Amino acid sequence: MPSSELTGTREEVDFARAGSVRLDHVTHRYGQGGEVFTAVGPVDLTVPSGEFLVLVGASGCGKSTLLRLIAGFERPTDGSVRVSGAEPRPGRTAGVVFQTPRLFPWRTVRGNIDLALRYAGVDRARWPERRAELLARVGLEGTEKRRVWEISGGQQQRVAIARALAAENPLLLLDEPFAALDALTRERLQEDVRRVTDRTGRTAVFVTHSAEEAVFLGSRIVVLTRSPGTVALDLPITLPRGDIDAEELRVSREFAELRAQVSHAVKAAAAA
Amino acid sequence: MERDTGSVTGQGVGRVRRRVHHPRRRAGLQRHHLVEHLGISLRRIAIGAGLGIALGVLFGLLMGTVGWLRSLFEPWITFLRTLPPLAYFSLLIIWLGINEEPKVTLLAVAAFPPVAVSTTTAVAAVPKSLIEAARALGASRWDVVRDVVVPSALPETLTGVRLAVGVAYSSLVAAELVNGLPGIGGMVKDAANYNNTPVVLVGIIAIGVSGLIIDGLLLRLERAVVPWRGRA
Repeated sequence: MPSSELTGTREEVDFARAGSVRLDHVTHRYGQGGEVFTAVGPVDLTVPSGEFLVLVGASGCGKSTLLRLIAGFERPTDGSVRVSGAEPRPGRTAGVVFQTPRLFPWRTVRGNIDLALRYAGVDRARWPERRAELLARVGLEGTEKRRVWEISGGQQQRVAIARALAAENPLLLLDEPFAALDALTRERLQEDVRRVTDRTGRTAVFVTHSAEEAVFLGSRIVVLTRSPGTVALDLPITLPRGDIDAEELRVSREFAELRAQVSHAVKAAAAA
Repeated sequence: MERDTGSVTGQGVGRVRRRVHHPRRRAGLQRHHLVEHLGISLRRIAIGAGLGIALGVLFGLLMGTVGWLRSLFEPWITFLRTLPPLAYFSLLIIWLGINEEPKVTLLAVAAFPPVAVSTTTAVAAVPKSLIEAARALGASRWDVVRDVVVPSALPETLTGVRLAVGVAYSSLVAAELVNGLPGIGGMVKDAANYNNTPVVLVGIIAIGVSGLIIDGLLLRLERAVVPWRGRA
């Protein structure tokens, strides 16, 4: 339905709703016939525009499936998924950062960003400016000409984030993007992601199994039960956002309490 | 092509003098220097293998992306691949005559399967994760083919090209069995008819060495075109 999406109903072009996510009774099953496996559902969830939602759960609880449904890579078996009021379409409704960087090895850092800009329909004349801006946003100035295998894993994931931001989609989806990184790099990238989304007012849905990561990043945390995943806990996080000292936040008592609470909920949900 | 007609193999050196338009007609073996024989053969390989490779890449791309096309063509390609070139050479002579056409066609038919098979495999094995990454960035179907499938299949396709050139090379003598002069394969065959072992050996060495050089060039090309090979 590209034409209806282009013209849009009033609801769809309403800027306040841009980036909002709405899951109505969503269930997703894999397989056919006798070997059907229910990965997730039923889940009802509304993510208002500008929220940083973190989905937490033990591995195999269907959190990645939920993200794939929101990204539009898969259609739910039952129920409906809405992003900004319309059916999600890959590459049109959300920027996605995967667990691994998934960069194109035949292109340089610059080539990877440029490809994203081209797909996003950015005018070629504006590429250099936009490219520099995106790389600066993830702290990768001066790496344009490097081959992707010449930079570290953390830098690769930064390129992937810059690439996902290229289209300036109002929604950003991240699927355990820092799981494979060392603790130091992970914390730095968490801070970067928090800053980027805060500054641009983007909606974000972030999947992780780490309670610590969830509490640090989220403005709201949803804990999923064991497969098939359903909502076990829905917790708003009131920790300060914006320009804050991340180190101070991490060692604060509130942070520790929330982390314990979430960690507890995750274990309880996994055991249930 | 018409300059070949006076020198059908096996007619001996005595007929050589009939040839009038060649400026140095008495020089070289069978009226041609080794370099000329080799040059003509390389030209045939360039045209024949080039055609086969181009077709192979095209078929590979189609077969790797469209399942039913693969089921349709793969048995035929396997059939073709197992045939020794000599088996179908007579057919090509009957259908296409004795000039350049059957030679070039034989080399094309020999070069086609390795490229088609390797490209098909490579295209079918393109990481789904990269295709998904491109789609997540807003790539259209065509964008995915151009920016992900083709570059991702390139290393293996180039291996197929090297194999194809090798197969074309090993079919050279067969291709030049009939009316192969000038041509290095024809030269070897002609010399064999006269038990001329030194010329046969020279021909074999010339074929082998030039093959080695060409493979070396292809290898350099591969390194230049796919520097990411083995790194990602």
